[in-house]
Amino acid sequence: MMNSMNDASVSQELQKVFEELKSMFGSCEAVHIDARQYKLIVPSDKTLGMLTYLKSIGYSHLSIITCVDWIDEKKFELVYILFNWSNGATFLVSTFIDRDRPVFYTVKDMWPTAEYYERDVHEFFGVEFEGNENCKKPLMLELWDDLPPLRKDFDPLQYSKEHFPDRTYEKDPIHEARIIRGDIEGDIEGGEIDG
Amino acid sequence: MTVLKVAGIFLTAFFFGLTFEGIGRKITARVQRRYGPRWYQNFIDLFKTLSKHGYTHGWIFDFGVIMALGGIIASLGFVPVGGIVAFPGMDNFFVIVYLFTIGSLGMAMGMVGTGNPWASIGVARALTLMLGYEVPYMISIGSMLYFYRTSSISAIMSAQGGDWNLFKFPIGALVALISLQGMLGKEPFEAPIAPAEIASGPMVELSAKYMGLLMLMNTFMEFAEISLFVDLFLGGGTYFVFLLKYLVVWVLVVLISSVLPRFRIEQAVYFYWTVPIILAFVQVFMTVNGFVF
Amino acid sequence: MDKIEKIDERGVWEKIADQLRSRSMWMLHYCTGCGAVELPPSMTSRFDMERLGMGPMATPRQADLFLVTGYLSTKTLRRVIYTYEKMADPKYVIGFGSCTINGGIYYDSYSTINRLDQYLPVDLYIAGCMPRPEAILNAFTKLMDMIRKGEADGWKRYNENYEWYKQNQLRSLGEVVVYDEFHE
Repeated sequence: MMNSMNDASVSQELQKVFEELKSMFGSCEAVHIDARQYKLIVPSDKTLGMLTYLKSIGYSHLSIITCVDWIDEKKFELVYILFNWSNGATFLVSTFIDRDRPVFYTVKDMWPTAEYYERDVHEFFGVEFEGNENCKKPLMLELWDDLPPLRKDFDPLQYSKEHFPDRTYEKDPIHEARIIRGDIEGDIEGGEIDG
Repeated sequence: MTVLKVAGIFLTAFFFGLTFEGIGRKITARVQRRYGPRWYQNFIDLFKTLSKHGYTHGWIFDFGVIMALGGIIASLGFVPVGGIVAFPGMDNFFVIVYLFTIGSLGMAMGMVGTGNPWASIGVARALTLMLGYEVPYMISIGSMLYFYRTSSISAIMSAQGGDWNLFKFPIGALVALISLQGMLGKEPFEAPIAPAEIASGPMVELSAKYMGLLMLMNTFMEFAEISLFVDLFLGGGTYFVFLLKYLVVWVLVVLISSVLPRFRIEQAVYFYWTVPIILAFVQVFMTVNGFVF
Repeated sequence: MDKIEKIDERGVWEKIADQLRSRSMWMLHYCTGCGAVELPPSMTSRFDMERLGMGPMATPRQADLFLVTGYLSTKTLRRVIYTYEKMADPKYVIGFGSCTINGGIYYDSYSTINRLDQYLPVDLYIAGCMPRPEAILNAFTKLMDMIRKGEADGWKRYNENYEWYKQNQLRSLGEVVVYDEFHE
């Protein structure tokens, strides 16, 4: 079924979906990625409605929920990736929420698997999902006591240095490697490299 | 004299049991095109486990391990090894089978006493598998006991002379060999101790000495089971002839096990209760109607 | 650095036992990192670990040798410490790959540890990312040699310096308790 449909008929079908979306949700920006993949950017108050609609017309496979930290714009971008098994098309439904007050709504009643994606996003970005009461439980990071680690203002190297004692070397191999590669100027301690 | 004979049986079971296990490992390795361990590797393994500092899991665990080893040692004492019959007149087939159960139950009790769920699953599988192989085995041996009108193993052994029961009861021997594969826990009937699936089942919580004692128990059990097969179907024989026959049966079992995958437990029981059980009834029919070659 | 001459404290029985232990090492491999692929070649016909008396074991209770392959996150380190403490003395640890030595390419990660020997007594490290089966076999023969000479005494060090190890574990992990919401 999936393979028998060519790209032209899929794009025709997708055009129809876009028109319907436009009439239902008004402003809806669609970014073309490739023949079967489009990104839809919607305001956060219309996201759940759009997800419900897309699920009802066949885009029912939730591949993942993920998050992007746009620190300069002070926004978190939530991305819901939906897949249609009958024509192989993918929609990336994306929405921007406020970075200082990162709260959104759960979709775990539509897709039970979403519970774990939401917990994952909560753990690594600090986004709260209202209605997902398991959100606060630790999933991968047990006993985490710092900023959520995938935020851009979190410094992993410093955290690593504070928590995990490292081996001390007389030479700093990473520094030397940077000099050898030409990233920074400087002398290699201990003279020439052999060969 | 009885004491000496019992000691002789134990020493034989200990030395040759472990040696033949080592040879079996070597054969498996060669089938897989590996070099394999040394023939005395199992002695090193055994004494190493005894030298470690293990953990106990309460008195019921200790008692279970001792009971398992004791039960097997007790039943081994009654098994005729070649010409050596420790208790003449008492080497009854049913006594040995009865005493085997003590060992198995001891193991079941001790291993469940560890509290590990894998151990419980392993023991449950072992007892289920026992239910599978015991029925065809008992039926096929029963027809032989009926034919000889005795359940004394040494009597059956000597009654065969040069004319082995293997040829007199070929179908029964086949059934017994298939059951033996399950008794020894070799593939394809390896489900109770599947290492990659349920983390070696009953042995999951065994450390150090307990592991060593259970290995010893396993060796003794294998020795007693194969000895029974050799006595009943291959005519026993003098001490060295007996060991040679033992080796042939053991190598056959190892070769079969080294090329086969594993049955799931319900597949194994289904198999035992269809093919071997029908063959066993065919053997009973032939024996009762006098078709003994 | 001058090598400090170690006094052999073992009695005759311990020496005999060490000979046996070195010739029959049962191995537990903790392959949450990458090293799992390098072990099958060293077990199967090309290198055949069993001729040295070694073999894979299914549970920590039965094992003598603990192979920690590749990186350890804080979550897996808790499980590794549990596993190590379940093993019966004497037990040996091999740190496998550069991630256990200094963090490897994960040196700046927020969730992977940098030095395994801060938390567990490591008898031997194998450098490389990943080490080839030749290096693994080389390490095994080296470890056997160390056991025979009585140098592989990590399990004694762990018992003697338990406070120090525990302190390091608590510093990096907060607490060494395994929470498992799926089996509560």
